[in-house]
Amino acid sequence: MVIPWAGIPLADVLKKFKPTSKAKYVAFKTVLRPEEMPGQRSRSLDWPYVEGLRIDEAMHPLSLLAVGLYGKTLPNQNGAPLRLITPWKYGFKGIKSIVEIRFTEKQPPTTWNISAPHEYGFYANVNPNVDHPRWSQARERKIGAGIFGSRVPTLMFNGYEKEVASLYKGMDLKKFY
Amino acid sequence: MPSTVVIRRVIKPALFVACALPLLSVVLAAFGIGGASLGANPVERIQDTFGQWGLRFLCITLAVTPVRDWLNMPWLVQLRRMLGLYAFFYVLMHFLTWLILDQGFYWSGILKDIGERPFITIGFTALLLLVPLAITSTNKMMRRLGKRWKSLHRLIYPICLLAVWHYYWQVKADTTEPLIYLAIVLVLLGWRAWKTRSGRASVVAAREPS
Repeated sequence: MVIPWAGIPLADVLKKFKPTSKAKYVAFKTVLRPEEMPGQRSRSLDWPYVEGLRIDEAMHPLSLLAVGLYGKTLPNQNGAPLRLITPWKYGFKGIKSIVEIRFTEKQPPTTWNISAPHEYGFYANVNPNVDHPRWSQARERKIGAGIFGSRVPTLMFNGYEKEVASLYKGMDLKKFY
Repeated sequence: MPSTVVIRRVIKPALFVACALPLLSVVLAAFGIGGASLGANPVERIQDTFGQWGLRFLCITLAVTPVRDWLNMPWLVQLRRMLGLYAFFYVLMHFLTWLILDQGFYWSGILKDIGERPFITIGFTALLLLVPLAITSTNKMMRRLGKRWKSLHRLIYPICLLAVWHYYWQVKADTTEPLIYLAIVLVLLGWRAWKTRSGRASVVAAREPS
């Protein structure tokens, strides 16, 4: 399905802080409240959830700080009050309930990469040609297609190839997954 | 011990209906009856439900022998065939859901998955190994195979391990449930190993005056 997020371009927020040329990456951190969020009491992942983008990815017009969904304020389970949306990347890049944003010189750690480094990379661009080590990424099920909607071919960069391919020109996406 | 008539006319039919409830729950949810729903990802929900119950029935079937010994209810073994066949049924439904609803008969993708994705290879192997067990589940087959029937049906041991492994390998982060199933299967297999080893010793001890 295509989700109508409402938000602010991440670039507009970041530019207010006038990052220097030393800012090569943007790092994000989520809220840590295990007494309120039962999922954070389990050790399935290293909490708090962290994520990161390269500075040019963060400044791209498609990178959104979402505050709303379907014309309503962002619900808690979707990452209230601020959630990152990078539509050409796998969903786990969309860090929820952001409490901290930093500019960094080195590539920041990201939670799924910490959890399984050979399965989840920093870039996590949707790519039918790069398989997850345990399963293929070539075909996907469309949410909303119902019981009889079987898989369809995955689109490069989730259909945003025209908009973002230039960010990765010359990069070996099998290596930088 | 319940009479043969009670087992045949009451217990077995009741068990048959009880084992069909997971299937019924999927059908009801598919039609939105009683407020049930398959959620935002119905194909995955159906596939997962059948897979979970296949694994559960495999464990239940494996548990019949130890439980009948622990509770001293030898007649429980008469329910084992139905439980085993239901395990096969749910595993088969899990596979068919994947083949038809998920993959949509996309054969090149299907064959590639079975050949190249280890967790799918393992799952498919477990299913294949269940087929001879299902085929030889009839009374006629039991008589025809004689002693070899028992050896053949020991395949349930590797099948249960393959099933747990298949489950473990498709989990993204939270391995709690597969590990619980692993513990259950290891206890049920371990009991058998322990019983075989100390079988002779306990028979001798029973004969000695206490």
